[in-house]
Amino acid sequence: MDRECCWNRDVIEQEDCPKVGPGEEELLVLKQQRNLEKCCDCPTFLHDLNLLRNDANPLAPVLAGFLTEFCNQKTQIQSLVSFLDNKTLEIRFLNELGHVLQSSVDLDEVLSVALTAITAGKGFGMNRAFLLLCDREEGMLKGYLGLGPRDLEEASQVWNEIVQNDMDLQTLAQNFRLNKLSSERAKFHDVLEQLTIPLSNKDHIVIKALDGKRPIMVEGAFQHPDVPPELARLLGVDTFLLMPLISRNRRVGLIIADNFITHRAITREDMHSLETFGFPVAFAIERASLYDKLQVELNRVTEASKKLKEQQELIVRMENMALVGRITSSIAHSVRNPLMIIGGFARSILKSSPESDPKRTFIESIVAETRQLEGVLDEILNYSDSLYPTRDFWDVNQLIEAALRETSDSLSSLGYTSTYTPGYDLPPVYIDFKQLSYCLRTVLQNDIASCGDLRSIKISTYCDNDTVIMQIEDSGRSISQGELDRLLVPFSETRDLGAGLGLALCKTMLEKQGIPFVVTADELNGIRYTITLPTRKEEHS
Amino acid sequence: MSKLLVVDDEANIRLLYAEELKDEGYEVVTAASSAEASDKLQAGVFDLAVLDIKLKNESGIELLQKLVKERHDMPVILCSAFSCYKDDFSAWLADGYVVKSGDLTELKQEIARVLAKKAQKTKTGA
Repeated sequence: MDRECCWNRDVIEQEDCPKVGPGEEELLVLKQQRNLEKCCDCPTFLHDLNLLRNDANPLAPVLAGFLTEFCNQKTQIQSLVSFLDNKTLEIRFLNELGHVLQSSVDLDEVLSVALTAITAGKGFGMNRAFLLLCDREEGMLKGYLGLGPRDLEEASQVWNEIVQNDMDLQTLAQNFRLNKLSSERAKFHDVLEQLTIPLSNKDHIVIKALDGKRPIMVEGAFQHPDVPPELARLLGVDTFLLMPLISRNRRVGLIIADNFITHRAITREDMHSLETFGFPVAFAIERASLYDKLQVELNRVTEASKKLKEQQELIVRMENMALVGRITSSIAHSVRNPLMIIGGFARSILKSSPESDPKRTFIESIVAETRQLEGVLDEILNYSDSLYPTRDFWDVNQLIEAALRETSDSLSSLGYTSTYTPGYDLPPVYIDFKQLSYCLRTVLQNDIASCGDLRSIKISTYCDNDTVIMQIEDSGRSISQGELDRLLVPFSETRDLGAGLGLALCKTMLEKQGIPFVVTADELNGIRYTITLPTRKEEHS
Repeated sequence: MSKLLVVDDEANIRLLYAEELKDEGYEVVTAASSAEASDKLQAGVFDLAVLDIKLKNESGIELLQKLVKERHDMPVILCSAFSCYKDDFSAWLADGYVVKSGDLTELKQEIARVLAKKAQKTKTGA
């Protein structure tokens, strides 16, 4: 027998065996392993086997039988290995996916991951997927999100991008969520709108898949008796997969997947893999939806708690205010009446006492002291009033004219002249009329020492953007800025006012209404008061 | 001589008003409560009433409403320890409003003003 093959040689060279390729050099010296791996389908070995058969060697048919059986088993083993490899990859992929799904409570993130996994080449590699979610309140299954290209051109562009960027599944999903979620929703808006099916429509194939809790592979959709023609037309494909999403026996939604562009057949394997994948997706969607609802409820409870706290504070404040009101009411009656009686009778006695009476100075002191006490009482009562500002829109010019009328006598008695320049066409201002009137009267009548011959008060109003400025310039009164600043602090002592509220009360009242009150003093030029009045109804803290 | 009715629950205030207003040339009758005021009003005709807003257990505002209804030709001046009543719409029924003070100048001026207005009204027959 003239053998051509190297099968019986212990050591061979590379060129001796056409089946040993680069990277398999160790087989050149391992005869038994080389025989098992390379000889069974080597044409030169089969040639040698034929030679053996031709020599009528009785071992030849036995060997041929062994060889055929060995080759069959080898093919089967290779097929099994390939299957196991695929399953391992699938399990790894599902594990990775499961990990991402388990760790997320954001519905959009879960959906992005799910649909990316279905459509990505590194995932299930379907061309297109639509997610429909159950709306139990409305009793509808509604199209929520779609993912995939709309045509071949877009498909080429997207798939090229994916190949060039070589992103893993998680990155793809993140990228989709951040950059494409809203645009994909808009892109498939028309399809999703039409993918709204009443859950009560039990004859609809989509609802059948959902109720049956099993995936349905639809083939020949355009002729399928259970597929409504409008659904087949809408999807535009003959074959698609309906995969229900069921969590704890509850219907969460459904995924429609197809190969709209490539028209690759959807295999049973694809269907079973997607079914396995459907369980964690359904669970993650339900959990994320529940988390969303929980978040809404939490926000509602937090808001309610905040409001409750505000109400409690308001009640406490109202109680305090009511207490202040009761105290001031009590002061008004308990103090003002005796004060009035003392002062009144002192004045009566003073009127009837002769100028020469040595005790007259005592009575004059009583009159003066009661007058001062009445002034302090007025300020305290006004302060309690200031706790409840009542604001509305008023004409500021009218307010100034009224205040000037009321104070004209006292200004004249101090030797003052007043000029008023009202702004033209001023908008109404949003103020507490009573409090602002009080402030203006206080400013006009305040007890700061008068000086010089030129005693004049100039009042003007003008519009400045959204505000009306009221300016009062008093050129006849003198005070340093330091003393003036002290005057703006409640109960501070100044050389002229003693311990009082006056301007400090005005400042507090106005600031409570959010009205800036600026006072500047110049010992030579007098005092300037600037009050900036709002023309809009705005909340102030 | 104008005849005034002074209603106040404080005896000393009634006395002070009476003394001071008599000095001004008015005839003064005083009352300590709504009921007493009603009795005095039944017994005579008054040109003007000076009314305290807060009587012991009564509201001067209620008495004011009664007076406006029954004696609409008699002007009323409200006297109060509270300036806040100036903004009470009910108080606007009165012809005048004075915050109580040991210095009765404002009250006297207000009485003179209201009586002059009433006289003018009578004169013109309005």
